[in-house]
Amino acid sequence: MEAVLKNLSSTAELLAVASQSGAVAQWDKQTLSRAFHWARYCEHISSRFHNNSAIKGIMEKQLQFTNQSLRAAFPGYTDISFSDLSCCQHLLLVGLLKNPELPISIMKILFDTTSPVNNQQSDYQDVTGFCSHIIQCKSARKVLSPLTDLSAVGADVEVQGAMLMERLAALLSQESEACRTEHFLDSVLQGGEGAAGHFCLVIAAALLTTKISAAQTASQGFLLDWLQKKHSVLQLMCSALPTTLLIDLAKGHLQFRAAYCDVLKKWASDMEYSMSEGEWVQPSTNRTVSFKRLTEHFLALFESCPSLREDVENDLNALNISDGDFDVKGLSVWGDLLSALNK
Amino acid sequence: MTVRLVCIRMSQLQPQNQLQQTSEPPLNVQELQFWLDKAAAWGQADSPDTRKDTCLHLSRLKDYLQLLLTHMNNMSSTTERMKTLPLLGQFLGRLCWNPYVTADATGRRLLLQCLWGLYSEHPGNALERKANQWIRKVLCQLATEEDDDAAALALMKRMGVSPKEYHLKVLKMMVALLQENIGKSCRSLVDLNQRCSCDNIRATSEACVPLVTCPEAALLIGALLQQPMTCVRAALSQDFLDALSSAYSSQCISLEEQAVVSLWYHNLSSLEDAVLSLLECVLTNTGSTPQELKQQLAQSLLPKACAQHCSIFLVANDIFRSFLKQTEGNESVKYLIQTFSSCFLRELARLQHKTSGSWKALFPQSPQSLLVPLLTRPSEMPREAWKHHLNWLSGSLQTLTEEEEEGDGDGSRSTRLEGHHKVFEAWFLLIQCAHWVQVAVWLLVTSDPEDCGPLLWLLTFYHHPTNRGHHRASQLVHAKEAWDHLHSLYSVSSCPLPVDRLQSLVTLLSPQPERPSLSPLFILNLLVNFAVFFQQSLSGSAEILQTVVNRSGLVNEAACVLRSLELRLNEDSCLSSDTNRVHLRINALQNTLTHMHAASDPAGNQAHAHINAQNQTAVSSSSTPPGSLQNDK
Repeated sequence: MEAVLKNLSSTAELLAVASQSGAVAQWDKQTLSRAFHWARYCEHISSRFHNNSAIKGIMEKQLQFTNQSLRAAFPGYTDISFSDLSCCQHLLLVGLLKNPELPISIMKILFDTTSPVNNQQSDYQDVTGFCSHIIQCKSARKVLSPLTDLSAVGADVEVQGAMLMERLAALLSQESEACRTEHFLDSVLQGGEGAAGHFCLVIAAALLTTKISAAQTASQGFLLDWLQKKHSVLQLMCSALPTTLLIDLAKGHLQFRAAYCDVLKKWASDMEYSMSEGEWVQPSTNRTVSFKRLTEHFLALFESCPSLREDVENDLNALNISDGDFDVKGLSVWGDLLSALNK
Repeated sequence: MTVRLVCIRMSQLQPQNQLQQTSEPPLNVQELQFWLDKAAAWGQADSPDTRKDTCLHLSRLKDYLQLLLTHMNNMSSTTERMKTLPLLGQFLGRLCWNPYVTADATGRRLLLQCLWGLYSEHPGNALERKANQWIRKVLCQLATEEDDDAAALALMKRMGVSPKEYHLKVLKMMVALLQENIGKSCRSLVDLNQRCSCDNIRATSEACVPLVTCPEAALLIGALLQQPMTCVRAALSQDFLDALSSAYSSQCISLEEQAVVSLWYHNLSSLEDAVLSLLECVLTNTGSTPQELKQQLAQSLLPKACAQHCSIFLVANDIFRSFLKQTEGNESVKYLIQTFSSCFLRELARLQHKTSGSWKALFPQSPQSLLVPLLTRPSEMPREAWKHHLNWLSGSLQTLTEEEEEGDGDGSRSTRLEGHHKVFEAWFLLIQCAHWVQVAVWLLVTSDPEDCGPLLWLLTFYHHPTNRGHHRASQLVHAKEAWDHLHSLYSVSSCPLPVDRLQSLVTLLSPQPERPSLSPLFILNLLVNFAVFFQQSLSGSAEILQTVVNRSGLVNEAACVLRSLELRLNEDSCLSSDTNRVHLRINALQNTLTHMHAASDPAGNQAHAHINAQNQTAVSSSSTPPGSLQNDK
């Protein structure tokens, strides 16, 4: 364990040197290879222990300690945390390429286009052409994306959904710490500007994965349970995602269908009739959906799940009756909704 | 595919140093403006039209970049380069953000080399310093900028997935999705007005133009090549096929077998390239054994491809025909054609396409009456029928040649040409069906003197198809003489061998340039077959073989004949009912020859030289590998 911690520190120092120090001017191909080797090592450590909170904690402490001394040594230093380790090679690369002292010969090695691509995840990977391969990959994606953009969920979101499922499966397989999985999902939500919106799309993709194993079914179940508790996320999903996706989700998961209905009803119940607009609207503090849109949601749901129609209409009817069962527009959102649905 | 094309290609067989161009095209600044405008237009809008335009121009753009690079290398400093080509920086900058250029291996390489060309190790002024900074910045952005995927990458980081890994996974997912779509292409070609999903096949193939060297796209490219193509709209883009073909022939990529076959099927020039490369390779590498040649042919995938598609075979055969004519029946070419045909027919049999109806489609130019008789393998016929069969073949061919000669006399030019053509095609087909030639030689070993005639005629025709100077009559006489000598030599069981017979045989094998002669290989083949198959003791046979070969200096050639005979026996054991004994016999004879190899007769070198001279021009060979005719070290 001590050796591992020492290695972590050393790599953090290496990253600092790579991005901040003029010492890179002395680097040659061997130094470069070794540096990337260490970065790969850290990525490996990160994936090995990210589910193990005890060890993760120890490593985090070590890194904080190292951060302190590095901050003192390098004025422009940015702290590195355990979560950064999964992208260690990328950090190293960015640091190097931004370092004006990096010899052009090193850059030429990184951008070399002659060597064949080595995709193996073996220990020895040639650092030659590292950047060239990245560029090829990103460009190939751009070239192919007009052809694959036709589906509602693009290849990129599908991959993210698959990764989410993998991560959930890994977390859930450790029976001892079930609540950690919830914490994990919560933390992703708080990822920053627009993170929640993006996450909704990824959750949809994860739930729509068709070819799944038993482990993945468990992950999907967990995800749905968590969603059930997160009303804000559910609402965000229902307002932001395209209707076709929502319908697919409703068709694929009863739990989601029920939750979806509940969100729609909640939206309806929050609506007030606006005299000026001549229409039912949500309170001005939270305008996400119009009455027309709400109707469209219900209609789409009925079309794909015909069995639902009767139950929902019965519910709406009951609610309308409790509101007084008037036949006049603008008095009960339920009545108006029913009329709109039955036009 | 014409003989002209073959000639051009043959002259290209000499390696040319492409850098030794005496005059480079001068640099045209207007051309740079043209390409800059193009690059700007491509960058501004991302529509199907701009994408199409990019793919259309990609190849020319790369040529232009190469030209730029050459000119840049001729200049000594960045300042000079920027002065001569002020738009250069802008141009390269725009290309950096064009994914079609950067995805393509050559495009990326040339672009980067141009950028390095603008970098100064020791910048001498502000311009050069700025250029350096700009280059570093652009490269850093290209490799690490993640604006488009910021949200995704942030999420992926939480999952423990690095950016590089993520990009790779997404690319693989895209390829998988596109592959699925291709699999779903429609099966109907009924109604052209009906919309089908096949339009996207063409678009996908176009998008793959810069991706032919991208390993992750290999499966997609394979799927594109191998899709059933039942719908008219499912045609592949020609730019795609050309790009694929040139990448494959310069060995930048490897494709699955079936993908290669599909490529050849769709793209004539890639097929022609492949056949010519094979010819080039085999004909310049004459030291290989029969087994090695067979392996080379199998590896080339051409026999397999020919068996799968008649059109591929017709093209390949046409090229062989041209080469044969061009080289006037060169040894090596004949041997290659024989071996190729044997591999091809084997593949065809494996595919079970063998119906007599299809022979005509495969050999449209051959005399139709000869097709089935020649293409039927000996193993498909009872052994007792062989003699009759060969007699018939010999007779038919003889009739053909007689018709040709009569036509020579009095017909119009067109009938004369037709006659020549028929004889040539018959001979070409015979070469391809050399299994019957081998059977003829074998039968001669056990024939009576009265029965030899048709067989000897057949073999003489095989080695000397044209009757130039009416030498055939004397050639036939020599052939009979050789057979007589061999027959009596091997029939004799007494110890001292008849000297006169031996000497006559050796004389026949060592021809004089003044007299019209019979191919030594013909006689040698006969000799070896006698040694192997005649009912004589092993020691007796070995001694005869040894003596003759030693005196005529054809030790290596004889060893070659033995090797190819052994190979044939391995594949087609119908020749002998007792293959083990025959193999042992062959081995023993080979040993005898190798022991002799050390002590080679100096007088034999004359025979070597003459045979080599004959090799260049005369139409002489048998079913032996040409490597045997060259001086061994």
